[in-house]
This record gives sequence, C-alpha cells and structure tokens, in this order.
Amino acid sequence: MDRRRPDRHGLLSTYLGYLFAGLGGGAVVASLALGLVLTHRSSGVVNFAHAAMGMYVAFAFFEFRETGDLVLPILGLPGRVHLLARPVLASALVFAIVLAIVVGLVVYLLVFRPLRQAPALARVVASLGLLLYIQEIVRLRFPVSGASVVTHRPVLGDAPVALFGTTVTENRLILAGLVVLVAALLGAVFWFTRFGLATRAAAGNEKGALLLGISPDRLASVCWAAASVLAGVAVILIEPIAGLNPTTTTLLVIPALAAALLGGLESFAVTTAAGLAIGMVQSLILGWSVRPDTRWIPDWLPTTGLQQVVPVIVIIGVLVWRGDALPDRAAVAGRRLPPSPEPRHVTAWTVALIGAATVGLLTFGSGYRHALIVSMVFALLTLSVVVLTGFSGQISLAQLAFAGVAGFASIRLAEHHVPFPIALVAASLLATVIGVLVGYPATRVRGMSLAIATLAMAVAIEELVLASPSFSHGHEGSSAPRPFLFGADVGIGATGSGNFRAAFGFVCLGVLALAALGVTNLRRNRTGLRWLAVRANERAAAAAGIDVTRAKLGAFAVSSFLAGLCGVLMAYSVTTLSPTSFLVIGSLVAVALTYLAGVSSVGGALVAGALAQAGIYTAFMNDLTGGDANTYVFAVSGLALIMTAITAPEGITGLVRSAAARLGRGTPTPPPSSTPPGSGEAVVA
Amino acid sequence: MSLLEVTGLTVKHGGLVALDDVSLTAEAGSIVGLIGPNGAGKTTFIDTLTGFTPALRGRVSFAGTDITGAAPHARSRAGLVRTFQSLELFDDLSVRDNLLVAAHTPTLWSTLTDALWPKAHDTSETQSVLELLDLVDVADRRPTELSNGQRHVVALGRALVSSPQLVLLDEPAAGLDPAETETLAALLRRLPATGTTVLVVDHDMALILGVCEVVHVLDFGRLVASGTPVEVRNDPTVIAAYLGTGAS
Repeated sequence: MDRRRPDRHGLLSTYLGYLFAGLGGGAVVASLALGLVLTHRSSGVVNFAHAAMGMYVAFAFFEFRETGDLVLPILGLPGRVHLLARPVLASALVFAIVLAIVVGLVVYLLVFRPLRQAPALARVVASLGLLLYIQEIVRLRFPVSGASVVTHRPVLGDAPVALFGTTVTENRLILAGLVVLVAALLGAVFWFTRFGLATRAAAGNEKGALLLGISPDRLASVCWAAASVLAGVAVILIEPIAGLNPTTTTLLVIPALAAALLGGLESFAVTTAAGLAIGMVQSLILGWSVRPDTRWIPDWLPTTGLQQVVPVIVIIGVLVWRGDALPDRAAVAGRRLPPSPEPRHVTAWTVALIGAATVGLLTFGSGYRHALIVSMVFALLTLSVVVLTGFSGQISLAQLAFAGVAGFASIRLAEHHVPFPIALVAASLLATVIGVLVGYPATRVRGMSLAIATLAMAVAIEELVLASPSFSHGHEGSSAPRPFLFGADVGIGATGSGNFRAAFGFVCLGVLALAALGVTNLRRNRTGLRWLAVRANERAAAAAGIDVTRAKLGAFAVSSFLAGLCGVLMAYSVTTLSPTSFLVIGSLVAVALTYLAGVSSVGGALVAGALAQAGIYTAFMNDLTGGDANTYVFAVSGLALIMTAITAPEGITGLVRSAAARLGRGTPTPPPSSTPPGSGEAVVA
Repeated sequence: MSLLEVTGLTVKHGGLVALDDVSLTAEAGSIVGLIGPNGAGKTTFIDTLTGFTPALRGRVSFAGTDITGAAPHARSRAGLVRTFQSLELFDDLSVRDNLLVAAHTPTLWSTLTDALWPKAHDTSETQSVLELLDLVDVADRRPTELSNGQRHVVALGRALVSSPQLVLLDEPAAGLDPAETETLAALLRRLPATGTTVLVVDHDMALILGVCEVVHVLDFGRLVASGTPVEVRNDPTVIAAYLGTGAS
C-alpha cells in the first residue's frame, strides 16, 4: 500500500501534464475557431480553407525569416520576390500580419463576396477549391524534404514552468493566455462598439447595417482580415509544438469547426473554452493511448487516430441535437443547384462510349491504357457524387473514405478465397453500410453543417479504420491477389512487366457501364424524381408523401455503393494499396472535379473521370507540356472550382448543353433573362 | 364518425399561442371553409394537421385513426394531403414530374427495379389529372416558366394526383383573377364526387361562401364561429373579428 500511493499521485500528475500539454494545441484550435466565428458572423460563410490560409501565412513567415523573400501564392506569377536582406523577428512578424490581412481581404473580395447570394453548396465548393489551391500551392512553392518544417528559431520560448505538481512549457501558457485575451477583446468590440453592433445587424439583415450607415462589405472585409491574422499568428506560434505540414495543418480546421459549432458559430467565450478543452482532451487521449501500460486499447485500433474521435463526437452531437428533420417555414433556399436534365439518347451514348473505350483499350499504348483505366475507376467515384449531390442535394466529403473501406475489405475477402466478383459486391455493400451511417446526420442537418459532419467522419475513418494495422496493414499497405473472372485472369499487370493489361480495363469498363446505366435509370424513374424533389424542397416533398429521411439515406446508400466499387477496382489496379490512396483531400478533389464537370448529370461524372489526376486528360496534357500537368492538377482544379462556383454552377457539361440547345434552336441569342439558366433544353423539348 | 376530428388542438410558437383549444370536424364528401384575419392561425392549423408543426395538446383523428404524432409523409400517404400558400413547387422538375413524384408510394423493391429498367412509370393517374386541370399543354415545362395562375393549378394537381381522402388547401385563390377563381370554384365543387373531401383556407369571401357547406372562423387562434355561409356572414362575432370591435 505504501508503495502504491506515490505511484498513483505520479500518475495523476502525468495525466495533468498531458492536459496542460494540450493547452498549446487547444489555443490554436480556439484561435482558428474564433476566426471561423468572425467570418461566419460577418458574412455567413463557414470557410473550410481557414486553417489552410493560416498555414500559408506561417510558411511564408518562416521563409521570410530565413531568406527575406516573399513567396507569392499565385499560379503563373514568379514564385518569390526578395524584400529584405536581413529580416529580424519584428520585421518578420509585421510581414506576416500584413500578409495575413492581404490574404484575408483577397479571399473575401474575390471568392466569398461574389457568392453572398449563392446556395450553401456553392460556398462549400468554393471554400474546398480554395483549400485545395492553397494546399497545393504551398506544396509547390515550399518544397520541403520531410513532411514537416520545424524551425530552429521559434518565436516563443519553451522553458518549463512548474504548475500543480507537473510542468508545462511557457509557450503553451502564453498561447492559451493570448487566445483568451483575444477572445475577451473580440467580445468587448462586438458588445460595446458601433462596429460590433453593425456587424451583428449585418449578419441578421444586410439592410439593417446599411441603415446604421455602415457598409456590410467593409465590416466583412475587416472581419476576414482579422480572422486571417488570427489564423496566421496561431499557426506560426504553434509550429515548434505541432509542426507545420500542408496536410495536417490544413485539417486543423476540423477541431476548430467543432469548437465553433459548440459556440453556435456566434459566442466568442464558449468557442474559446471549447477550443481549449478540445485541444486538452485530445492531448490527454493521445498521451494516455501511447503509454506502454495502457492495455485497454485493442491492437487493431491505431492509437494515434483516437484523438480524432473527439471533434467528431462533438460535431455530430451538436449538429444532430440542434438539427431538425425538416427545415422550417422561414428557411429560404436561395439560388438552387443546377437543374438536372432528363437523360437523352441513352442508347446512342452508351454504344458510342463503350465503343470508344473498347477501341482505346485495344489500341492505346500502355501509358494511355493505364490513364483510361484510372479515369474509368475514378468516374465511379464521381458518379457517386452525382447521385448524392447532383440528384438528392446532399453533400459528403467522405466518398473516398468509403472507397478505402471497400478497397481493403475486398483484399481481406480475397485472402479468404472469396472470388473476385463476389468480393467486389460484398466489399461495396460494406461501404454502403458505412455510407448510410455517415449519412445519418443528413436526416437532421443540411448544407454547410452536413459538409462539416461528413468531413469530420472522413478523417475519423481515415485515422481509425483505414490506418488500422489489422485492416490495411498500415503503412506497408496490402496487395490484392490476382483477380479471376469465370476462370479468366483479369489482373492489371502482366507478370514481371510494367505493361497494363486490357483485360482489367474491360472489367472496369463493364462495371462503369453497368453503374452509369443504373444511375441513368434511377434518374429517369421515380427514385430519381423523389431525390430531385427532396433536393428542390424538403417540405413540399414530405407533403407529397415522400419519406425525406429514407430518400436521403437511400441516396447515401447508392452513392457509397458506387464509391465502394471504385475502391475495390483501385485495390486491384495497384501493386500495393496503401491508406494514403484514400486521404480526405481525395474526397475533396472528387467533389471538386464533379462540380466542375457538371454535378447533376451522369455525363458530368464521366467528364470528371476524364479529368482525374493521372487520367486521360492529364496524360494528354503531360504529352503536350512535357510532364508538368500532374504537378499542377490539384492547384488548377482548385482554381477552376472557385471559378465554377462563382460563374458557371452548371459546370462544363451544362455549358456545352446550353450551347447545343442554342445551336439546335438556330438562334444565337441566349434564353431570355427571366428564365433560369439551363432551361434552354426544356424549351427545345 | 367524421373523416377528420380535431379535438382541443393547442399550438404555441415560443410564448405565442397560435392555436387555442380548437375543435372541429369535417364530414366525408363535404367542402369545409376556414377563414379568419391575418395571423389568426389558419396556416398553423394546416401545418399542425399535416404534421409540419407539433401540437402542444390535442388530438387529430383521420379516417378513424389517431394521427397526432405521425410524420408528414405518413399522413400524406394515408390520404391527408395539403397545398402551400407559397405553392412550393419543385422548380427543377417538369409539371408532369411534379405530379408523378406525388402519385406513388415507393418500396425498397421499386428502388432496385428503378435501377434495372429504363422507364417504368405508371402515368395513368398523372395523365388524367393533367387532363382534368387542363395542364397537358404545359406538362413538359418547368413551373418557373408558367403564369401565377397556372402555378396554382399545378400545386392543386400535385395534391390531387394521389386521390386523397382529404385535401387541405392553403389560400388556393391568392393572386388569381376573378375568372381563374371561378374556374377554381367549379373544380372544388366537383371534388367531393370523386371521393375527395375539401378543407379550404382563403381570404376570398366569394369563393368560401360560394363553395363551402360549413365555414369555421378563427380569430387569435380561437374558433369563434362555425356554421353555414349565411349564418357566419351574419354572425356579430365574425363581423367584429374582421372589422374591429367598434364596428358592430
């Protein structure tokens, strides 16, 4: 007994130590969350690229500190401009703050201001485009050898401070103190000044702010600049503790969203407290789970992923608790998603496309044949986005996670000698189950909130399921055995050569053709009409006898099944399938490219497949440009996504269709402005 | 037993009492009117009957079944269908599809067959309603391309296509010109013969008094009068509700 007592005391202070260690991460979460609250209150936008903006500022700060160069984040402009010969800490901090202000203003004025009246989905898509763009431009402009930068010149010191029988580094305490100070300052500004009053008025009603004599634009600009500074400074200060990495830093937006949601996207005090608490609990779980004496965690659960569960539980809990099964009478839809045209000339298109793909598979060289296979497999994923977003108006940022679950599941099944076609369907059905579970919040929340919920769950699936050593074999990855279809070898690689076989291509073509025809039929039949009705107006759909909950879950089921098919074919098209094939960013790319190509038609999904990274389009561009296309595909698709969200919500296929409709009518004039875009083909009919 | 029996229905929006202990019945095959000044609780009454707004107290019985807690889509499938004051048409769908989507009850099986067969619509009910309402010429247009009067007719068609036992119409004549209102009145009079009972809310007194057999009057959430059109028109409480207490 006497020996145990100090032991227990030591354990307590260890856990207390974990909690205090989380003050730093918590302060960053809180600071990012405060920025999210600021931009939401002033302009109604939930910006997924918020942490990414801070990440760019931090990268630029450290680069400036070292070299005195300003690294420009704009494609097509020179990479860097030399500003100062010998930057010191003070000048570097001033540089970072000015840069953050500029970034905040540019993002608001160029991206989100034009989208003020746009539907929630367009704003989600634009912020995803921004996220993709920033992440890629940082990768291109700051080539670092390892995954993270750890600077040798931190801004804050890390001397240990004794606290309640344990120690904590002073930078963590300073960070936490700073964020509480900022929150108090923001609260004071919003409560006691005319500026705050006007911002609160503007969020409720733009005219209200105008009546107070303050331009809502100017208010929003100030808030965006402030939010950007908060994000930049937070990421700079946390860098010695958490590192700086294009992927993980960008995804800090998820715990920040959790904190901001707890504060109702409105309260600075609750948001700050929630942010600090989330960071501390995450740190506690991390510390606890990696202790050698922690035996309660089963081997198959990746310990480092456990902390991701915290924001997920918070987000889902808050959203489902606050959500409603149907939007209320006052909820105005605003501008809508692009109209979904009735499929036409299906037989002709089917014959032509299957014919073209067959000719391609038989005549292309190995490189283009592989690109065609990649495009066909990716088209299954974009088809899943069309079903979910284009037809039923829901959004999921977890599609590639579903694909990953199915991919590894099919390998595990094949190892148990389940034949290829059965494993294909069974693994996709598993993805369907996961998809319906992830889609469940969709029955209570919509738009932006749903995007947040699915993004959080995608990260949880990635870190807990896909990284699980017994499910995916972790970093080593898994290899699928050779697939056989009715006794014929349909594997992708000829043994002992890099040549890609057409046989596997025909399997992909067959699966894609069946899937695309199935989706076309759903669109033409009552199931598709019900989805479109739910997409158009949930209240009216319920009044027309449609079970809105079931329609949404049905869309999630079909969609995740398609994503599952994609994942299984991915598993069989690579030598080794690794969890890194299914990173969250890939789901964002899928949504992005589909939106860009035309989110509400099967044709859009096929075009999006062609645009996939390493697909036919990039293979073609690589030939033209001598190998640069793959490097820029994410950055360019990010930009294209923002442009599409703002200027052409119908995407490429929509533009082609209305052009064809105009040609068909023989009048070069666009349809009269009173009819909505895309009604051209209805007039022709 | 009446088709619709509402007993002691009470609804609160926040602290505001929107409906206060409202009881009424509607007999199968009748046309019932519900009138009242703005804010009297007419739309709330329809919202509550169709499950869009929860009731604080009270009971709604439809065709002998207690449906007080049922979901909106379940009530609609049971034959209790509504229209919306703001129409709420599916603007992305053609007029024909607006009707078609309301005409069928899906099953799990139908979702599977929908994926396998190119086109399996049963359009007979839809077609007959399109003909009844003279919408055949615009069946392939989108609602946004139609006149306000035609949009009202589409909303009515979407409610009627499933042959409901009871249809609740929320201001069907709002924004219609006198000729269109007369056409609407003629149509409403024909509905009971097709098996559809009508409860209509409107401000157009000519329409209400012209087609309804029974009229109920709501004021500040309370049912203040019920009776035949003639009785209601001469009821001093009703006159007071509409013109203010000083007028009588």
